[in-house]
Amino acid sequence: MNLESKRIIRVLVFLSALFISLILYLSYFQIFKSEKVLQHSFNKRNFIGEEKILRGTITDRNGETLAFSEKDGERQTRNYPKGSLYAHIIGYSYREYGKSSLESTFNDELLDLKESNPIDELKDILESGKEQYGNDLTLTIDDRLQKKAYELLGKEKGSIVLMNPKTGEVYAMASNPVFNPAKLKEEWGDLVESEDSVLLNRSTMGLYTPGSVFKVITATGSLKNPDIDKNFNCEGSVTIEGYTLSDYGKASHGNIDLREALVKSCNVSFAKTGVELGRESLRNIAELYMLNKNIPFDIQTAKSQFSKEKMDDAELAATSIGQGKTLVTPLNMAMITSAIANDGEMVKPILVKEVTNHKGKVLRKSTTKTLSTVSTPEEAAELKSMMKDVVERGTGTKAGISNVSVAGKTGTAENETDKTHAWFIGFAPVEDPKVAIAVVLENNGSTGGTAAAPIARDLFKEALNVLE
Amino acid sequence: MRKKLAIKTPQSLLGIINIMALILFLFYGDKLEKNIIVSIIVFMAIIYVSNYVLSKVSKGDNYIFLITAMLLSIGIIMIYRINPSLGIKQIVLFGIGIISFFATYFVLKKIKDGPKYMILYLGVSLALYLVTLIFGKSIGGAKNWISIAGFGFQPSEITKILFVFFVASYYTKKDEYKKIFKKKTSIVFMAVSYSFIGFLFLQKELGTALLIFLVFNVLFYVYEEDRKLISLNLLGAVIMGAVSYLLFNHVRLRVDIWLNPWKEVASKGYQITQSLFAIGSGGFFGTGIGLGHPEFIPEVHTDFIFSAICEEMGIFAGIAVIMLFMIMVYRGIKIALEQPNMFYRILALGITATIGFQAFIILGGVINMIPLTGITLPFISYGGSSLISSFIALAILQVASEELDVEEEDDDYEPRVQKNN
Repeated sequence: MNLESKRIIRVLVFLSALFISLILYLSYFQIFKSEKVLQHSFNKRNFIGEEKILRGTITDRNGETLAFSEKDGERQTRNYPKGSLYAHIIGYSYREYGKSSLESTFNDELLDLKESNPIDELKDILESGKEQYGNDLTLTIDDRLQKKAYELLGKEKGSIVLMNPKTGEVYAMASNPVFNPAKLKEEWGDLVESEDSVLLNRSTMGLYTPGSVFKVITATGSLKNPDIDKNFNCEGSVTIEGYTLSDYGKASHGNIDLREALVKSCNVSFAKTGVELGRESLRNIAELYMLNKNIPFDIQTAKSQFSKEKMDDAELAATSIGQGKTLVTPLNMAMITSAIANDGEMVKPILVKEVTNHKGKVLRKSTTKTLSTVSTPEEAAELKSMMKDVVERGTGTKAGISNVSVAGKTGTAENETDKTHAWFIGFAPVEDPKVAIAVVLENNGSTGGTAAAPIARDLFKEALNVLE
Repeated sequence: MRKKLAIKTPQSLLGIINIMALILFLFYGDKLEKNIIVSIIVFMAIIYVSNYVLSKVSKGDNYIFLITAMLLSIGIIMIYRINPSLGIKQIVLFGIGIISFFATYFVLKKIKDGPKYMILYLGVSLALYLVTLIFGKSIGGAKNWISIAGFGFQPSEITKILFVFFVASYYTKKDEYKKIFKKKTSIVFMAVSYSFIGFLFLQKELGTALLIFLVFNVLFYVYEEDRKLISLNLLGAVIMGAVSYLLFNHVRLRVDIWLNPWKEVASKGYQITQSLFAIGSGGFFGTGIGLGHPEFIPEVHTDFIFSAICEEMGIFAGIAVIMLFMIMVYRGIKIALEQPNMFYRILALGITATIGFQAFIILGGVINMIPLTGITLPFISYGGSSLISSFIALAILQVASEELDVEEEDDDYEPRVQKNN
């Protein structure tokens, strides 16, 4: 073979390689990237079918309409009669801006879409002219409680999650700041540029330093290990590996046990407990409570974070009192409270109660599932009783209601700003818990006991009144 | 007998595809264009007759015309589906294409001294450039259209073929040029070649400029005696690429869109992202013809026809199209290897590279594997200039596939592959 032929064959190999690379790239794109690409809001295909199908209605647990669509000739419009109240739960659905929250995660249900396949589509085209309807959603939310939650939050940044600790049904979920999905077109520019992350659902995606509410996790660890010392001598501060950790107001609590330590939210005692438990043990308990885990939910959630790296004792001490690198979502905290209220069984939170077709036939009903067993009923009972004392005579007295026994834990979390987050988690009534709550006020500055506990109290009152 | 079979089997496959398309079109749309039945039947008849005539007059390759007919069928089905009146027009243009195919074929066979017309190739190229510069119309940001008697025409489609002729005649008669330019012969050749590329670049016709650049490099690689110049040329190309990225907005724009088409999805990245939606929504099997929405892509019937094919016929059909081009390139290279005459050998190689690279540039562009530069997909995209020039290219390849009765100038070449079909 002469040189020229050899070179020509190399050209053939080169050109073939180019074509094969096209085939490989095309397959790669189809298999790995196309699914995500197709979700893009500029893909008009997603909206074509939608115009023909009347998008389903969303109601609260009592049948109150929260979102509905109207046909207006060829086009249809989506209405949000409750304004900003459901901005973070239901979200929005617009051609220009796409979809968020339930409008996005339940899009197929709201449009009654099945697995797309050309034969079905062909059939549809043959049957065209027939009105098509999407499915309706019934939420677990109670509109009255949702409204109350936002009232109580007021202008405060932060989140409230109120849920049934036994079934996992979420009764109210508020996140501030908020926007109005009905006026999205006018507000979009400001929303996108806003520095307050208005579009972020703080309840499920907001990551906060937990502060002292984390102590219920450390306390669980102590109760699970009989060997851990449950009596402490608190002198107001303790120095671990050169890092001095002090109690709120430098108060010295003297000789106290675990119960008193939780009631008074004693940092020194919990720091000692954490160090004694060790990193592995504390992390295991935290992960039982779903930190570092994906929380399955009807809308997008963020993972709470518990450090997976090595910690020295100083960092471990900080972590055991909810400082350090730990970050939690309000939803996760509500679930933690629920687990304690529900005898150590953590259930999956539920937002969508039922999916019904437009004729009212129930297509899907959500059921309660256990996500994780965090403790034995006995350990949970002990924690419950401690948390009851917190509200009766400890840092959480402002959450107390006459005639109803309330259990809870307060938190005042230091963070990278100089203003602390105010936390309260709790449930009521203690004997037969019907509601569990997590309240966080972002950079509020005052303590959980003064700022967050009263909000929990007021919402508990309303909830116990309103719910049958 | 074997030869007959070799033609008949693919031809009946073609027939089946076109009959299926015809049946589909009978049910497609609200109102049937009466012309379509006649048009498709005429289309099939032309393919059949041309194939028959070709098998009688040409002893060369039987496959390249069949591959072309397959590509054309896919293209016409897709164009008709996107816009029925353009589909019919494309069938008419196909007729003109076939005429240019046979015209080129017979004229080229008469010409025995192709290498001598160097001045003609260069002169016509320059004339086409100047005409475009003076009378050119801007379509899609590039000033590359001229209008003749109401018909739009893209001169660069002809320039790219003339360029191959220019290179072929240069290397065939290199010894003569060496007497004139002495040691600087290769440099002069490179300068002329790059002026082709430069002119197209200035017209903002990046796709064709890139195409000619690639074809030049392939031919340069195979035939240049001064091997040092090849690496030097590549080095220079890289530097030029970097410089033009920094200097020219329209180059930078293409690269930026390629890197992140989602950044300006509403404006500059609109076309390519719509193309990606189309390809993605087709899946491997496609939505079915008429059931997708390729019309969301602006100008889908020309440069973006492949995205429409992927959406409605599926990625597998897309892969099939790519493979058809691959077979076409394989046949073209085989023709080059078998052709003893140097001029026609270079023509065959150059034309094959032109078709191959052109397909790659636009296919890679619409799937966002490489920066998108506007260029048509040979034989599939809608458009007269593209179709006619592709058929002219095909005719050249057809002539090169035959044993030719021309003045032999280099006898030292031994065909590597024995004729065996």
